[in-house]
Amino acid sequence: MSPSLAPADLLNRVQRDVERAAQRSRNGLRYAAGTSRPKLGQTPKDVVWRRHKAELWRYRNDDVTVKTPVVIVHSLVSRSYVLDLYPGNSAVAFLLKEGLDVFLLDWGVPDEADAGNTLEHYVDDGIPAAIAAACEAAGTEEVTLLGYCFGGVLSLLSAARHPELPIRNLALMATPVDFTKMETITALVREGRLDPDEIVEPTGNVPPDVIENGFRLLKPTAEISQYANLWENLWNDEFMEGYQAMGQWARDHVPFPGAAFRQTTEELVRNNALMEGTLVLGGEKVDLKAIKRPVLNIMAERDHIVPLAAAEPVVDLVGSKDAEELRLSAGHAGLVAGRKAAKVTLPNIAGWIADHSEKA
Amino acid sequence: MADKPLWRKAFDEVDRRVSGPVEAGAHSDLFGDLVTLNVRLARRAQREVERRSRRLLHLANLPTATDVRRLSEQVASLQREVRELEDRRP
Repeated sequence: MSPSLAPADLLNRVQRDVERAAQRSRNGLRYAAGTSRPKLGQTPKDVVWRRHKAELWRYRNDDVTVKTPVVIVHSLVSRSYVLDLYPGNSAVAFLLKEGLDVFLLDWGVPDEADAGNTLEHYVDDGIPAAIAAACEAAGTEEVTLLGYCFGGVLSLLSAARHPELPIRNLALMATPVDFTKMETITALVREGRLDPDEIVEPTGNVPPDVIENGFRLLKPTAEISQYANLWENLWNDEFMEGYQAMGQWARDHVPFPGAAFRQTTEELVRNNALMEGTLVLGGEKVDLKAIKRPVLNIMAERDHIVPLAAAEPVVDLVGSKDAEELRLSAGHAGLVAGRKAAKVTLPNIAGWIADHSEKA
Repeated sequence: MADKPLWRKAFDEVDRRVSGPVEAGAHSDLFGDLVTLNVRLARRAQREVERRSRRLLHLANLPTATDVRRLSEQVASLQREVRELEDRRP
């Protein structure tokens, strides 16, 4: 305590601490009872296309100023609601406010019937069909493809294998290409300690808890620090909303389809095939240089899941003359959620997309 | 930050000292070997329990985990065939 604190300041401080203690007790009870969980993924949307478990959602927007729609491709191992957490913390809502026509390709929750889904299933069938559906729904001839995390890898592969697809721009967020730089998360399978088949469960998929534990191991003490953050900010309603939403997302993974997992492990991780240019899908070599459209590579400097070094080479691998990169001081999820995303990441992404798109 | 409570400053200091070694430990070869061993032992134990309980459950005319698994594999395979037919539909 500062010795020069005036009596009025001291009184204010005591009053503030008492108020916070009361709020802390209230929020603590609500948190323990689980009665204050924010509702996630609430932005109004319509399903415009569906195939098996995959769905393409179009978010309602009466104020579209950018004609070229944005098709967001989500990852295979996490829930897509991280892009639309809750009002005031939603990447989708932000993009809508910027006048974009936003579609989201959600792969659903795989089960035994999806265990045989290969990378080709997503890259050659899912993404091209979703792009066609988006063009039809929006009445446009082209889209901007925006891939997040492993969804970025799928978008990259789809754009490379199908140069005929009506992709006007390709934006990639936290997209790994150099898997040797993802040492920690891939170490067990890359070094041959574990065979992918030992991780795949009888359903034919990698169970979500294995994925969750893999992420946990990257920063083993992070959970304890988060509890300290929780205690420190328990009085703060805004913090609690964000904490609970992100906490729920971080514990809510989906199974990784076994066939795609085996390909990822064998080709992308063990052979580092994207960097070596040796990836073969559907019997053909994938040539990332076939991507000639404008590319934006968005990377998070504090990303512990996809480190900067794993995502950096994208601009050198593609054949685009207009390939830019955007480095932001954020973490993996911080690219799309939280205060920094709303202030820095999303305005930059929306600006780049608008500049490279047809106006309505 | 000047406004941080004393307990938080102390926590951060401990965290700063502890997190590095803990992370290094979790990313070490030894830990990797332990994880591998754990995965293999858990699988082996599961198989053993299933093998030993199978006869007992079958005596009581009850399905075992293996039976349920085979059944769900068959359902999944059927589901895949239906999908293929759906996809072929003009």
